[in-house]
Amino acid sequence: MAEKVKLISHVDAINWNRIEDPVDDEVWDRLTANFWLPEKVPLSNDVPSWNTLTPEEKQLTMRVFTGLTLLDTVQGTVGAVSLIPDSLTPHEEAVYTNIAFMESVHAKSYSSIFSTLSSTKEIDDAFRWSTENQNLQRKADIVLSYYRGDSPLKRKVASTLLESFLFYSGFYLPMYWSSHAKLTNTADLIRLIIRDEAVHGYYIGYKYQKGLERVDEATREELKAYTFDLLFELYENEVQYTHDLYDSVGLSEDVKKFLHYNANKALMNLGYEPMFPKDVTDVNPAILSALSPNADENHDFFSGSGSSYVIGKAVNTEDDDWDF
Amino acid sequence: METKAPAQGLNEAIVREETDLDYHALNAMLNLYDAEGRIQFERDRQAARQYFLQHVNKNTVFFHDLDEKLDYLVANDYYEREVLEQYSREFIHALSKRAYGRKFRFQTFLGAFKFYTSYALKTFDGKRYLERFEDRVCMVAMFLARGDEDLATKLVDEIISGRFQPATPTFLNAGKKQRGELVSCFLLRIEDNMESIGRSINSALQLSKRGGGVAFALTNIREAGAPIKKIENQSSGVIPIMKLLEDSFSYANQLGARQGAGAVYLHAHHPDIYRFLDTKRENADEKIRIKTLSLGVVIPDITFELAKRNEDMYLFSPYDVEQVYGIPFSDVNVSEKYYEMVDDARIRKSKINAREFFQTLAEIQFESGYPYIMFEDTVNRANPVDGKIIMSNLCSEILQVSEPSEYDEDLGYASVGKDISCNLGSLNIALTMDGGDLAGTVETAIRGLTAVSEASAIDSVPSIRRGNDMSHAIGLGQMNLHGYLARERIHYGSEEGLDFTNIYFYTVLFHCLRASNLLAQERGQAFAGFEKSKYASGEFFDKYTETVWAPKTDRVAQLFADAGIQIPGQQDWRELKAKVMAHGIYNQNLQAVPPTGSISYINNSTSSIHPVASKIEIRKEGKIGRVYYPAPFMTNENLEYYQDAYEIGYEKIIDTYAEATQHVDQGLSLTLFFRDTATTRDINKAQIYAWKKGIKTIYYVRLRQLALQGTEVEGCVSCML
Repeated sequence: MAEKVKLISHVDAINWNRIEDPVDDEVWDRLTANFWLPEKVPLSNDVPSWNTLTPEEKQLTMRVFTGLTLLDTVQGTVGAVSLIPDSLTPHEEAVYTNIAFMESVHAKSYSSIFSTLSSTKEIDDAFRWSTENQNLQRKADIVLSYYRGDSPLKRKVASTLLESFLFYSGFYLPMYWSSHAKLTNTADLIRLIIRDEAVHGYYIGYKYQKGLERVDEATREELKAYTFDLLFELYENEVQYTHDLYDSVGLSEDVKKFLHYNANKALMNLGYEPMFPKDVTDVNPAILSALSPNADENHDFFSGSGSSYVIGKAVNTEDDDWDF
Repeated sequence: METKAPAQGLNEAIVREETDLDYHALNAMLNLYDAEGRIQFERDRQAARQYFLQHVNKNTVFFHDLDEKLDYLVANDYYEREVLEQYSREFIHALSKRAYGRKFRFQTFLGAFKFYTSYALKTFDGKRYLERFEDRVCMVAMFLARGDEDLATKLVDEIISGRFQPATPTFLNAGKKQRGELVSCFLLRIEDNMESIGRSINSALQLSKRGGGVAFALTNIREAGAPIKKIENQSSGVIPIMKLLEDSFSYANQLGARQGAGAVYLHAHHPDIYRFLDTKRENADEKIRIKTLSLGVVIPDITFELAKRNEDMYLFSPYDVEQVYGIPFSDVNVSEKYYEMVDDARIRKSKINAREFFQTLAEIQFESGYPYIMFEDTVNRANPVDGKIIMSNLCSEILQVSEPSEYDEDLGYASVGKDISCNLGSLNIALTMDGGDLAGTVETAIRGLTAVSEASAIDSVPSIRRGNDMSHAIGLGQMNLHGYLARERIHYGSEEGLDFTNIYFYTVLFHCLRASNLLAQERGQAFAGFEKSKYASGEFFDKYTETVWAPKTDRVAQLFADAGIQIPGQQDWRELKAKVMAHGIYNQNLQAVPPTGSISYINNSTSSIHPVASKIEIRKEGKIGRVYYPAPFMTNENLEYYQDAYEIGYEKIIDTYAEATQHVDQGLSLTLFFRDTATTRDINKAQIYAWKKGIKTIYYVRLRQLALQGTEVEGCVSCML
């Protein structure tokens, strides 16, 4: 599939001292400060908790994470890369390379979770399920087909919907577990991923809106119609996927509300009005509160590192600072 | 019992909704504003109520009366028979009635949830509750009072009223037949030989198994590349020992109750210092990465002076230092001997730039929150006891002297040294002030804490046992300072806030010493080494007998007057000094202000003497998951007094701690809070400021990164800008 992704034909040395769009700089700083690797999270602390899950719950969890692995792989190897040639500024290109890399980190993180909690056979079973589940495959196919298409703005729409909408049927589960005191370290890791995806979706959506400013009214109308069509197509598929996954534990209804909530969020990132009315977006408050990408939770040292720390900015001290 | 039905006349829609949602969802609504932008405090109260209705009441084992319950619990090995047999059944009935008569209610969902999840006695299958809060309080009081009915009654009064709250290990374990130790903290030295290292691993396992955090000093371990038996490049340094300790802690847990937790301290002038810090780097290699072990660095004054002059700092080989001075590196006064060691050719050394060292500290603190810092010379100047303090503990509030042990080849002791343990308990400042009898509250607390020390005999680690037998060290802490100040509409760190902190801690110190002196008189015994202390020489008391300590503001004078609490004067101190010099004090150490996590939730307090980290705090723990906690006494009307620690900034926090520090013999866990716009230079400035103000230790550095605008969850309280 990569043969259709074109490369930039001409490159100038990127000058970070000439910022054309301050959002590039802001997002770059945020993304680099948020850099992390799965090894920092003490996932093995979740082993006792994992052992308290029923076989159905374990299978569900494994499947959810293989589903997320697939999406992150799509986004890391194709999605973010395919956006590079369409960039409006050289700094935007640089941001996409960061996004692409972090998506690969995310994809690998799920493998860290698997290898910590589960056996090879269970892992293989879950991956087999992911290749055989039609709704999951279809979801990836839909997005991939738009990445391969020839419209830069449509690519951004697909990408934003992936980052801000499609991931969340999967994210629901670890947030649900952690609000019930299960797999809390896994949830920390997922929250780190959410922290990243929230910025990715916001940024790509923002660039889409920038792109809209450069096209005529008719194209804008067409793109809007396209966005809602695509969202609806994805939504229908997502509902099926949700039932495939969550019917066994009776959470489908609640997950669907969560889908509505995030679909609205994705539309907001793209600059559009919400599609779902408030009465079908009343997500369980425990899930909503757990989503907060802020780094402000309190935890004890018996329970892992949390999702709080960032890489700081190093600045030398001056003589005045040492005035004592 | 919190089983009352929803009040009549309450809006039906709300009632229906409350029962529609589970208690986790109701609790989480605390973190979401209502349609008018107000915090939904009532949702948390509903969550607490539903928790009892939906869960606790259904899962509590029913007994017809107290006797049936006690007989069952003793017969089935839930309660220790010996504890109950010290009292008559009539007394136990009266005590229980007294406790239940106080009509205790949990003020928050987290308080109730935490108590039943982590503290209440459960059936062995873990499914049903055998105790309510009142039962736990009575059992703890009877255990600590050891047959003294008067003390048992006083302890019940202090604990059930919320004025005194024993630390988790004591409150969790006391009176249970199947239990861990009652002591919170252990601190051990490691010397530069394989026997000591081997013993340490064993101690880590043994002490983790019994609960409590364990800290080790690695300062005396020879550095990576140092010679062993004169062959160069043989030693592996401190990192592999850290790995072994980390694995030991995760292996041993308290009957599954909680995973062991540990800390290691290293001196800033140890040659492995950068390797030590790099274990917490975000991109550290898996082989050297330290995930769950906490790190602390011991920094002497000389390091600050070198940094001030922007000079290099020399790092000294511990092995050579010990050869030259005949005592372990940790026991050498580095500030005093620094230039002597620099000029001594027998000591191999390397150098790094001092300012770079501080900057590296700050970088790692950004990435991981670690290391803790102990300001070595400040700590030792303030230490009234003979000996040197070389390390702190997992929460950086324990500061006591130690002595090395020597071992035989079979790991037996050639001579048993002195290692450190400490059991803790904290006063709720607001409720203690409301109680009006500060002297009585402190005395009862000191007696309760001393009982834990006397009841503890950690035979698996003889140096800990010896240290405890010699010193009976305890740590009385304080919590809910911010809650109290906010309730009284005083801003944290304001002139009145600082004034109150000073006078409160000053008064508490007086009563701690008074109570410990009473114990010494009753037992006819002072702590070992008292005669060499500054208490015995009287020097300790100079600052209180020679200067007047009184409120500087009318408001604070009024607060004490209204509470009916007398502030001791110079004459009181002179009398106390005479009694202490004549009879001694029973406890080598008396105060330590811990960070108070779990117990402050049960007790409805703000943690320690910190400002709140957030108006609605997000708490995450393995056993409880993610739960939301509102600051005590907070309403939608007094929010302005609940500025959080990130808004308040480090100066006011350090100023507040400095006021308290001057009256506390051990340490106070001080966390520094920064927004993510801070740089390493800001952290360095805060460290310099803390050191200048006489702060003894710094605990975590915490950063708050707010969601990028446009990515936040809408209407979320803890996301407030």
